[in-house]
Amino acid sequence: MIKVRIPTPLRPLTKNQGEVDVTAGSIADLVNTLEASYPGIKARLCDDSGELRRFVNIYVNEEDIRFLKGKDTALKSGDEVSIVPAIAGG
Amino acid sequence: MNELVIPQIILDDMIAHARELAPHECCGLLAGNNGVVSRMYRITNIVAMEGAQNLSSFDPAKVAHLERLSPAERAEIAFVMDMQDFSTAKKDMRNHGLDLQVVYHSHPHDPARPSITDIKIATDYEEIWPKINLPIPSYLLISLMHTTPDIKNYWIKSGQVSNASFIVR
Repeated sequence: MIKVRIPTPLRPLTKNQGEVDVTAGSIADLVNTLEASYPGIKARLCDDSGELRRFVNIYVNEEDIRFLKGKDTALKSGDEVSIVPAIAGG
Repeated sequence: MNELVIPQIILDDMIAHARELAPHECCGLLAGNNGVVSRMYRITNIVAMEGAQNLSSFDPAKVAHLERLSPAERAEIAFVMDMQDFSTAKKDMRNHGLDLQVVYHSHPHDPARPSITDIKIATDYEEIWPKINLPIPSYLLISLMHTTPDIKNYWIKSGQVSNASFIVR
């Protein structure tokens, strides 16, 4: 199992859960698995070509997937994935 | 907590950043060691580049408001950091042994105090900083509403705003 931390702005999509457990072999796999359970979440994370949007970061065990293998980053049971929204304000 | 020390050259660079982007908001990060800032990172404000409905940091009311504006108008009242730039800055901090100290942004038309949106998003972010291995930063505002820029720094914790004083030298 992989623990995924969901940020506050995305919790309306995950029935207000701040953490969900999924089984996935890669980040791309994880995003598709989340989408199957929580429709709409994929579009918030990825653009039409499947690349991570520039206002989101995904960390695997505190390392940004942009510095790993992006959406092809491999996952193993026990990994912790954090979805981090952009720092923003008005 | 000791007062943060911001070197004059970095303060001037932040003001220059705010003026270059005006009337759009600028944003960035300050990092250093032992309460002394030694590096500034300009971060791209991507609020004008994406459809507002995708900007997941904002609450639905703010999104609805942003959706009614043109991209350029959006950038006058909001910022969203390019998280690719943010990650590059975070990596540079780690490589140089620097701590994140400040998140800054400008208010081209408004006073140097956090907006309701600033407070809400900063409060949401409180639980995120430790998870990405960064200390909770203070929030610095640069107001350009008067000829002389007004600069103030704040702690935002649990929805409460308090002054975080700093000295320039």
